[in-house]
Amino acid sequence: MERKPLHGWHWPDGDPAIALHATTAAGGLTIRHPGPDLHRIPGLVARLRKGARALGEIETRELTTLLGEICRRFLRRLDGGAVERAAANAGISPAMMREILEGMSATWNGPALRRLVEAEFPETAVLDRFVQVDGRMVRAAGPGCTVIVGAGTVPGVTITSMIRALLVRSAVLSKPGIGDVALTVRFARAAAAASDRLRGAVAVQYWPGGGKGWGEWEGTLFQAADQVVVHGGDATIEAVRARTPASTRLVEHSGRVGVAVIDPARAPRAAAEVARAATLFEQRGCVSTQLVLLLAGTGTPRPSQAIASAWCEELARRLAELESSGPASAPDPGHLSRIHQMRGAARLRRAAIAPKAHPRPQLWCGPDGRWTVILDRSERFEPCGGRTIWVAPVRDHAACLEALKPVGPMLQTVGLAGLDPEETGFTEALAEVGATRIVPIASVPFPESDWLQDGSRPLGELVRWCEVRRPPEAAEPSR
Amino acid sequence: MRTPCPQARADPETRVAVSTGSRPQILDRIGALLRMDDGTGGGEALRCDRVFNRWALRVHAFQRATNPALGRFWSAESSDWRRIPPLPVRAFRDMPLASGPAEAVFRTSGTTGGRTRRGEHHLPSLDLYRAAARDNYRRHLLVPTDPGPNRASRNRHTLIALVARPRAAPDSSLSAMVGFIAEEPEIAARHWAFDRERGIDLQAVRRAAAQSRDPVLLIATAFALVQLLDALEGLPLILPAGSRIMETGGFKGRVAEVDRTELYRRVDSFLGVPCSHIVNEYGMTEMLSQAYDAVAGEGLPPDRRLHRFPPWVRTRALDSAGLSLLPPGEPGLLAHFDLANAASVCHILTEDLGFTTADGCVRLLGRASGADLRGCSLTAESFLRRVAPSRASSHSPPPPPNPS
Repeated sequence: MERKPLHGWHWPDGDPAIALHATTAAGGLTIRHPGPDLHRIPGLVARLRKGARALGEIETRELTTLLGEICRRFLRRLDGGAVERAAANAGISPAMMREILEGMSATWNGPALRRLVEAEFPETAVLDRFVQVDGRMVRAAGPGCTVIVGAGTVPGVTITSMIRALLVRSAVLSKPGIGDVALTVRFARAAAAASDRLRGAVAVQYWPGGGKGWGEWEGTLFQAADQVVVHGGDATIEAVRARTPASTRLVEHSGRVGVAVIDPARAPRAAAEVARAATLFEQRGCVSTQLVLLLAGTGTPRPSQAIASAWCEELARRLAELESSGPASAPDPGHLSRIHQMRGAARLRRAAIAPKAHPRPQLWCGPDGRWTVILDRSERFEPCGGRTIWVAPVRDHAACLEALKPVGPMLQTVGLAGLDPEETGFTEALAEVGATRIVPIASVPFPESDWLQDGSRPLGELVRWCEVRRPPEAAEPSR
Repeated sequence: MRTPCPQARADPETRVAVSTGSRPQILDRIGALLRMDDGTGGGEALRCDRVFNRWALRVHAFQRATNPALGRFWSAESSDWRRIPPLPVRAFRDMPLASGPAEAVFRTSGTTGGRTRRGEHHLPSLDLYRAAARDNYRRHLLVPTDPGPNRASRNRHTLIALVARPRAAPDSSLSAMVGFIAEEPEIAARHWAFDRERGIDLQAVRRAAAQSRDPVLLIATAFALVQLLDALEGLPLILPAGSRIMETGGFKGRVAEVDRTELYRRVDSFLGVPCSHIVNEYGMTEMLSQAYDAVAGEGLPPDRRLHRFPPWVRTRALDSAGLSLLPPGEPGLLAHFDLANAASVCHILTEDLGFTTADGCVRLLGRASGADLRGCSLTAESFLRRVAPSRASSHSPPPPPNPS
């Protein structure tokens, strides 16, 4: 059955009379959205700036409550049909979409948003007015108009980014990733419907990033905006960087790799938790676990291999269970191709080692590329996605840190199981290698509202500070 | 056409010259088989399924026996080449896959695999590469245009190569092949107008074109061709009548930001070479045989073209989920069984999407890159690029150089 096209935009003051429409295919869905009409950009940005001024009249405490309430209503009104539509748009199962929304709801609420603001601004009033801090007056303000370029197919990422911009009183124009259009447009509508003071400050428009005819649109829009926040892979970041003038502030969140460090002897449930961390978001999230470093013990290689092999067996069993309870979305041919390449290469590496030699790579596979566990050395690791988990046995903490070094600059979340985070300076060493978030493995999929994404302050990176100092004579009378 | 097997046609095995020496006999026999594909028999007999299968199983058995890793990877003998699992091309990154000491090593560009995890094709016999390539490029590129009374004298060409010289790029399979072409008797003059460091030498291209009294055979990666056109800055450089172009790489219908139809239109406008004289070659470092989508002078518009391999290659489109065989017309991942790869890996699974036709041609649809499912997790390409910045070269398109 042919599905109705997705409505890929929401502009302030209702839908304008848009003459030029474009249609973009996204998997089985089509997205209708305005075409690259450059003449509309100045008016749109001007309306958003005006909306930011109205937004600025809301005090922080009231704003966190208001945004929390909008989130609550937005989630409550997502009925079965809406969830199915959002899931189809993201290319995941409705069951997984529900789990993701439930996880997101822990950060999309008033108290969580207040925690976020308070974590970043101990004097939250600095977002409302000048406040006396350490002998000077300071004020933090978001820019008038922020353009958010969302990541491809991770549902909810664009909404989180929008909420952050609104919290610092910046109006937002969001370009959701192709798989996140349905949710983002619904959220923008919910925000506009909930409050007159928010209505003018929220816009969404999908466009095919870097698509033919859109380069000039992007360049003109980024020039007109005050700030661009981009989430995505290297190609996206580089393209946005090339089109953003020096006068527009650019905040980048590039792709990252998630790692787990597991001591199987002290964490009997870790396999199930790793399976969940890898399965949620279908490994498309920057927090998703891709590589597991397994503390398989010292001694002769054979017991280590046996421990690692048994653990992978358990991980494979858990992935198979998750596959039956929440089936993986049908991966596209590109992902399947990569999975077949990874699997075949692993099989050959195993074949290249004499049968009685250790360690030998091992492979556990679900049907039709639905999930894969590869047990092999960490040097060969590369992220694959599509529920593919690479497990590398390591002797001890030192070997684990050594294995992480090449991954360090791209490292995001490190999930721990069976390890005490305070233990023997291990977390210090992980931070030195490049980790920006170290959490129990069960907490990997859903960061707290105040997490330091990519090692930055999520609100702090959006604001501009202003300070007022008294004249020296007023501060300290000269003698 | 692949079937039926004509009874009158002899199995070429009975007619190949068997050489003896330090090299395994089968490689000489395959080489002889490929060299005889001149339209008079020989390799043509491989269009018969039965004959192809017999040779395929021999090559498979040879590789199992001489390469322990492949021997274990293909743990069982087979009676049908279609049942032999294809080896993914990524495996070429992990270990040398050769049945004997290598005479040459070709490396992939690393455009998708990162620069330190480049695929390596170890070739125990460079002769096999020449044998696989020669007849094919001669039939598609070195044909006389405008045949007439002076046909013999008109089949002379000036070669302008926008790829690195073989000496400067010993690990590039494309450079090696262009080196073979440069030695052909039809090539009256040869000009190498590309350097890995400096890119295209526009002055050398202009000089060569101006001096040439023969049609030009311009060989370029699609990226280099775009660079050349850009470097012309709107000033046409019309090549002599009868000139033709072999372009390779970027076969997905798009070359960088340029649509292939648009590219061919620009070539026509600025180089004076019509679409009919532009030939796309599909080749890869991991495979010694090539496919062409036209004979120079007879090319259809790009969107109506199909690629054809020589008869010692069989291509199948496989379902991307379970790798089961797809019927003609249904797109899937392409797997090639190439007898010319007798000394390395005969059956490979590519990362290319396409479909086959009933008469054994291939329509290439692009690279199965997974680009539609991007998120904020790091892609393998980005990961490998960041982990391993270093050198480049290949039969795949190299990174676009700066035009000089």
